[in-house]
Amino acid sequence: MTKRFLTAEDVRRLGGPEILLEEGTVVTPQAAEAAATAGVRLIGPAGAYAPPLPDRGPDAARAKATLPHLPEPSTTDGIGLVVTVVGRNRPGVLAEITAALASHECDVADISQRNVGGYFHTVFTCAVPPGRDFGSVKDSLQCLGGEGDYVVRVMHESVFRFMHRV
Amino acid sequence: MPFTDHEILETVRMFELETFDIRTTTLGINLLDCADPDLESSCEKVYAKIVHHGRNLVETAGSIESDLGIPIINKRVATTPIALVAAASGSKDLVPFARAMDAAAEEIGIDYIGGYTAYVHKGYSNADHALLESIPEALASTARVCSSVSLATTKAGINMDAVSHFSRVVLDTARLTASEGGLGCAKLVCFSNPVEDNPFIAGAHIGIGEPETVLNVGVSGPGVVRSALERLGPEADLLAVAETIKRTAFKITRMGELVGREAARRLGTVFGIVDVSLAPTPAVGDSVADILELIGVERTGAPGTTAALALLTDAVKKGGAMASSSVGGLSGAFIPVSEDAGMIQAVADGALSLAKLEAMTTVCSVGLDMIAVPGDCSQATLAGIIADEMAIGMVNQKTTAVRAIPVPGKGPGETHDWGGLLGTAIVQDPGKFGSDVFHSRGGRIPAPIQSYRN
Repeated sequence: MTKRFLTAEDVRRLGGPEILLEEGTVVTPQAAEAAATAGVRLIGPAGAYAPPLPDRGPDAARAKATLPHLPEPSTTDGIGLVVTVVGRNRPGVLAEITAALASHECDVADISQRNVGGYFHTVFTCAVPPGRDFGSVKDSLQCLGGEGDYVVRVMHESVFRFMHRV
Repeated sequence: MPFTDHEILETVRMFELETFDIRTTTLGINLLDCADPDLESSCEKVYAKIVHHGRNLVETAGSIESDLGIPIINKRVATTPIALVAAASGSKDLVPFARAMDAAAEEIGIDYIGGYTAYVHKGYSNADHALLESIPEALASTARVCSSVSLATTKAGINMDAVSHFSRVVLDTARLTASEGGLGCAKLVCFSNPVEDNPFIAGAHIGIGEPETVLNVGVSGPGVVRSALERLGPEADLLAVAETIKRTAFKITRMGELVGREAARRLGTVFGIVDVSLAPTPAVGDSVADILELIGVERTGAPGTTAALALLTDAVKKGGAMASSSVGGLSGAFIPVSEDAGMIQAVADGALSLAKLEAMTTVCSVGLDMIAVPGDCSQATLAGIIADEMAIGMVNQKTTAVRAIPVPGKGPGETHDWGGLLGTAIVQDPGKFGSDVFHSRGGRIPAPIQSYRN
C-alpha cells in the first residue's frame, strides 16, 4: 500500500497476518509496537521492514548534484591541516610535535616560529596523506602538551581558504 | 606558504580568544505530510518524521566540528508551522503536538525545536486559534518546544485582535511557569514580517515556500567585531569603522558558508541560508553593546546609539552579502537584553530604557528581545508594547519581534537571573500611563501605503 507513514491506527484498521509496505514508508514507533502486540508482520519491499533512508525531497537530489561544483576559493593542493602551537619554550617541543606528525605520515610543507621572552609560537602547514582520517590526526596532536606547557590547535586548511581567499 | 602567518593567527585568534563559533545548525523539516484527521496519528507522524530526518543531525555537526576544527554550539530543528499540520485533525487542544515535538527533540539529542507556530497577521483559522490557546500549556509542559506567532506584515497590516490575544497568551505562559521566573515566555516570540528560514530559536520555523528538508546555519561573532574595532582604535573615522565591520562580517560569513555546505552535503539535503547575525551571549566580550560602545557611545542607550547600531547592522549585512549568495534569516545584529552582558550593564546604569530600546529596534535585525516586564503588567500595556513593535516592522518593511517576559512577582528595577544562555534581566518600566481604550477597540490596523516613501 502507498503511504508516507504507517501509524498505530493504520495497523488496527488494516489488521491481518501481514501488512505490505511500499518503499520509503516510515513506520511510527507506536505502529511498530501495535503490530508486534497484534502479531502483524510488517513487510517492506525487501523482506521484513527496515527503516528507509530519509527522503530529503526533490530539491535535495539537485543539491547533491550541484554542491561539489559550487565555486570554492582557490585550492592549495596537498595541504590538509594547519597546526598552531603556543606555549612555554623548552627543548624538545618541536621534536614532540614533528614526531606526532610523522607518526601519521603527515608531510610538513612549511613551519614558522616566533619566540617572545620564554614563550614560543609555531605554525605548521602540513599535508595529510590520502586515506588518513583528519579527526584522529587532530586528536593525537591536540592531546600533546598541557596546562603550563604548550597548547596545540589543529584546523582544516579549508577554514583558512574560505576565510582568506575569494 | 599558502597562508601568511598573519592570516593563520587571525583565524586562530577568532576561535580561541574572540568567542567566535557557529551558533547553530538548524535542520528544517517540512511536516505538512503529517496532517491526519486523527489527532493521535498526526502526532505519531510528527514524532516519526522529526526523528527520521533529524537522527543524524547531532552526529553530523559533531563530525564537522571534529574534521574542520570549528566549534558548532547548537543543533536544532525547525518545522512547518504546526497550526498548518494540525488543521486536518480539527482538535481544539494541540498540546499533544508539542509533546510529540518535545519527545522527538529529546530522542535526537537537541535542546530546542522551533515551529509551534501560527500565522494570524490577517485572521485566524480554527487551528490557528486552537494553537494560540494551547501555547501556555504547551510551553509549560515541555522543555524544548519553542513557539512563534506572526501578528503583522507590511502587506496585511496588524491584527490587533491577535496582538491582544497574544498578550494574554504571554501572561498566561508566565503564570504557568511562575516557579521558573516566567521562563516559558523565553520560548515564545511574536513577529511582524516573519522570515521563513530563520535558524535561530525561539522564532525558528520553516515556511511553506521551503524545501522538504533544508539545512540553515546561524553564525555569531560579536567578539570578533569587537576585537577588530578595538584594534582600529578611537581615532578612525566612521567609514573606516564600517569597512572594518564589513570585512570582519565577510570572514565570519565564509565560515557559515563552509559549515552549511558541508553539513548539507553530509546530511544529503539542501543548504538553505547562512544567517549572519551578531548574536551575543552572556559571556564576557561576546556583546553587541560592547561594539556600540567601541564605536563611540559612552553607554548603550546614550544619544547616538541608534545611529551606531544602524551602521553596525548595515555593515554586517553588506559583508555577509559579499561572502555568500545564501544570506538569509534575520541577518544583522541581535540586541537581546538579558543575554548580553553589556546591555544588562547599560540597563543597570540607567542608560538604556524601554523607549530607547524600541528606537534601536528600528535599525537592528530583530526587535525587543528578552526584555523583562513587571509580572503584574496588564494585558493592555503588554499589547501596546507589542503593537508598537509590530508597527515598526510593518511600516519599515522589516522583521521585528517581541520576546517579553513578565517576571512573576517582580517590579521595575528588580533583577531576575534565568541562568545559562538566557542570562539576567532587570525588569523594565513600561511607564505609568496605559492604552486601555486603544486596546479595547480591537480590529485591524490596515496595511500601510508604501508609494510615498518620505
